[in-house]
Amino acid sequence: MAHTSTIAAGGAALAFPGHPPDRHFKWWIIAPAIFLLLFIGLFPLIYSLGVSFQHRTMLEDDKSFAGFLNYAQLFRDARLWQSLLHTAVITAIALPIELVLGMLMAQLFLERLPGRQVFVSLLVMPTVISPIVAGATWRLLFDNRYGPINQIIGWFAGKPVAALWTVKPDLVYPAIILCEIWQWTPFMFLILLAALSNVDKSLTEAAEIDGAGYWRIFVKIVLPAIWPVMAIALLIRGLDLVRIFDIIWALTQGGPGTMTETISIYTYVQGFQQFEVSYTAAVAFLVILMLTVIVTWAIRRMGLAK
Amino acid sequence: MADLKITGLHKRYGPVHAVRGVDLEIPAGEFTVLVGPSGCGKSTLLRTIAGLEEANAGTIEIGGKVVNYVRPRDRDIAMVFQNYALYPYMNVYENIAFGLRARKTAAAEIDQRVRRAADMLAISGLLDRLPRQLSGGQRQRVAIGRAIVRNARLFLFDEPLSNLDAQLRDEMRSEIKRLHQEIGTTMIYVTHDQIEAMTLADRIVLLKDGQIEQQGSPLDLFERPATRFVAGFLGSPKMNFVPATIVESAGAIGLQLNDGKGLALPASSRQRYAAAVGRPVVLGVRPEHMARAREGAEANGHARLATTVELIQPTGSRTYITFPLGGMAVMAEVEPHDVHKPGDPISIDLDLNRAVLIDPDTNRVI
Amino acid sequence: MTPQRPLLRRPGPVLALRYAAALALTLFFIFPVYWLFIISFKTPAEIFHFPPVWYPESIQFANYRVLFKDGDAETVWNSLVLAGVSTVIAMILGTMAAYSLVRFKTGGENLAVWIISQRMMPPIAIVFPIFLLYVYFGWVDSYHGLIILYTAFSLPYVTWMMRGYIEDIPIELEESALVDGCTRWQVLWRVVFPMARTGLFATAVFTFVFAWNDFLFALVLTRTEVITYTVQVTHYFGGQSNFWAKIAAMSVLGTVPVFFTVATLQRYLVRGISMGAVKG
Repeated sequence: MAHTSTIAAGGAALAFPGHPPDRHFKWWIIAPAIFLLLFIGLFPLIYSLGVSFQHRTMLEDDKSFAGFLNYAQLFRDARLWQSLLHTAVITAIALPIELVLGMLMAQLFLERLPGRQVFVSLLVMPTVISPIVAGATWRLLFDNRYGPINQIIGWFAGKPVAALWTVKPDLVYPAIILCEIWQWTPFMFLILLAALSNVDKSLTEAAEIDGAGYWRIFVKIVLPAIWPVMAIALLIRGLDLVRIFDIIWALTQGGPGTMTETISIYTYVQGFQQFEVSYTAAVAFLVILMLTVIVTWAIRRMGLAK
Repeated sequence: MADLKITGLHKRYGPVHAVRGVDLEIPAGEFTVLVGPSGCGKSTLLRTIAGLEEANAGTIEIGGKVVNYVRPRDRDIAMVFQNYALYPYMNVYENIAFGLRARKTAAAEIDQRVRRAADMLAISGLLDRLPRQLSGGQRQRVAIGRAIVRNARLFLFDEPLSNLDAQLRDEMRSEIKRLHQEIGTTMIYVTHDQIEAMTLADRIVLLKDGQIEQQGSPLDLFERPATRFVAGFLGSPKMNFVPATIVESAGAIGLQLNDGKGLALPASSRQRYAAAVGRPVVLGVRPEHMARAREGAEANGHARLATTVELIQPTGSRTYITFPLGGMAVMAEVEPHDVHKPGDPISIDLDLNRAVLIDPDTNRVI
Repeated sequence: MTPQRPLLRRPGPVLALRYAAALALTLFFIFPVYWLFIISFKTPAEIFHFPPVWYPESIQFANYRVLFKDGDAETVWNSLVLAGVSTVIAMILGTMAAYSLVRFKTGGENLAVWIISQRMMPPIAIVFPIFLLYVYFGWVDSYHGLIILYTAFSLPYVTWMMRGYIEDIPIELEESALVDGCTRWQVLWRVVFPMARTGLFATAVFTFVFAWNDFLFALVLTRTEVITYTVQVTHYFGGQSNFWAKIAAMSVLGTVPVFFTVATLQRYLVRGISMGAVKG
């Protein structure tokens, strides 16, 4: 098969056989990955979208078209919006704490400290264990009779304390948030430590010589320098918080009642305990939509400098 | 049969037209140097020959076969890169043997070829070292060894000596020249250094803005440049350019400079320049074609000039004097042991037989 | 007035303060892990003792023996197979994809962005549709089902990370290989993979850990045949009788491997968890 090539600005066309070698190579090697992603990422979504327009529930596998029935239900579902509220609360409280605490820890370890490596290795541990294990661990810690936490509080209070951390409404949120912070602050800490270490010393030293105070240097020079990294860390952490499941499942399973039910737990309950198949599909779709919007906004806001 | 033939080659990178219509024919066994300033398209041209870039238009023939759509590995070429491109996780032996292994050559033959190449380049003792344990010059030899071992038809060099220091560069230059004499493979060598070009090439191809400005033997380009660019590119220090006008008086032809001075042109050149009488031109004369005037009359075709020394730059083997001529600062080469001071009067002898006149509108040599 | 050295750089009392703070923090972050470990070695009497026993009389392995006897320890093996196989496949496919993106700019920026955005997908939202799909295929509670899932879920991360590592490879090495006699495919395996060795290793470990620690997918997509250690731990939560010892022992079994692997990869930790944002 002949392939002709022409000289652009005028000139005769020259023809010779064949075509550029390896021009499909780049597609062949990325094809398996794309196929897999489409299969797991896109295909189920479309299928589920279809299901969300049906009548399937625990009682009947009714595949008839239901129009926007399930979606209308979304707006009337108080429990759904409650769960979103719970999610927002946890995220809004835990994220700043993780950030600030992580920053403080990073500052602490920034300068030379003998044995720093050892400290850092130990501090990393909570982040690498499975979140469900973290939840289970704190469940044991929080036990009202045999848990060390109540024991320690008892020391300070002067009398035995048997707080029901995983049951009492006042205590469940602190319990969850405490476990979450325990596990993920080291993540923030590590990233911030690395980012701070990479800040060009000459910038801060010049400011010091100019007479700027510690706080001013921090706000005006250091923060802007580490902002790109911080932004990514916040994005990753923020998304994970919105999706929080394992820790809550281990500690309260969403209880008492539905007090600590976040959107993930709610979706799970609807889908795998109530078997409200079509409705859950609609809920899932809503969640994906919400998160896509948030992520797109966040990425654009931070500039796709990644 | 020419080993390499390029016809009407064009290569674009988006808006940049790097190679604009290059025609080149290189006979077997010749050492061709592609030289020119940065951005002239020489590297692009080389990479297109290698198959690392795809031409937008035109044909490339190696050994009479059109190779535009042939993979680099099948073009029977070998290439030496500026950054050596040695695999850091393999020792020298493995680096050299890499191409042969990829083609599933028999182990015994690989061994024989690798050792022979290593001998030729005097690196036999380094065969089990890793690249990071080698000096720059040694690494470059390994890179060359990797090219030799394949017995390819065409060798391509992409500015191989640019990363070496000056002394090493001189050494390696001789090595490469010696190599070519020994194995006689057709070689195409890219550099921006005109000294490398002059000393290594059987043929120089001087490129400017994606086109061939002139090609020929080094001496050809040096003594008979076709354009101002060629004249100014080759030769160090650069040729001097002085604006002037061709005048005729009393049957003799000469140049009138902007500062009023006049220079008589050789009688033999009268015919060549006859048509240009009265027109402005640019006089091009090399520093080495000037000298301090000696006693006696001027030689045929030479002109004499009285002027004052402005600047003196001794290099040990030569001394360069800058003096004003026709409004420009002009450099001449003089005997090193003559002592001059700025402000001294001096009489300069110019060999106008070797000078060129350039048409300022077309920049071509008349 | 002589300029003061910045607050945290002054030696003496400030250093002691920093040390105290460091110790306090380490205590806070390590204690729960310690507690978990220690429970796994306690006797039932010591576990259910008030006030809590801070340090057991002796290290008892009884709890672990029970796990192995009951066959529960098999779940650790399941986790290993699932995480291991999916990691290997993800590394291969992901690196190939990354190479395509970096050297050939395949699909332009849009494709790259789409791939990375897949990581942002919330597990809970996509696990439901996937569950429906798997029911349809009959893949629930199967090894290959979860492997495919973990692989697909790891691909964006692997692709993203390997992109960075491949960009660091000097392109002349690949070009030289092309001229010397390699096909594109050979260049990928003889030059790119070896050159990206350390990046491959580091990324593989984090990919493995993500899959190893997963709970939600395993919970949803398995029933009785293929149980991971994470799901198994929750089996001990039932009602009143919390099999504390089993929870602890199981957790430890599932956690120790991770500690070891991460400890050996200290250097790449930051780059790995920050998705390459910081070249720690």
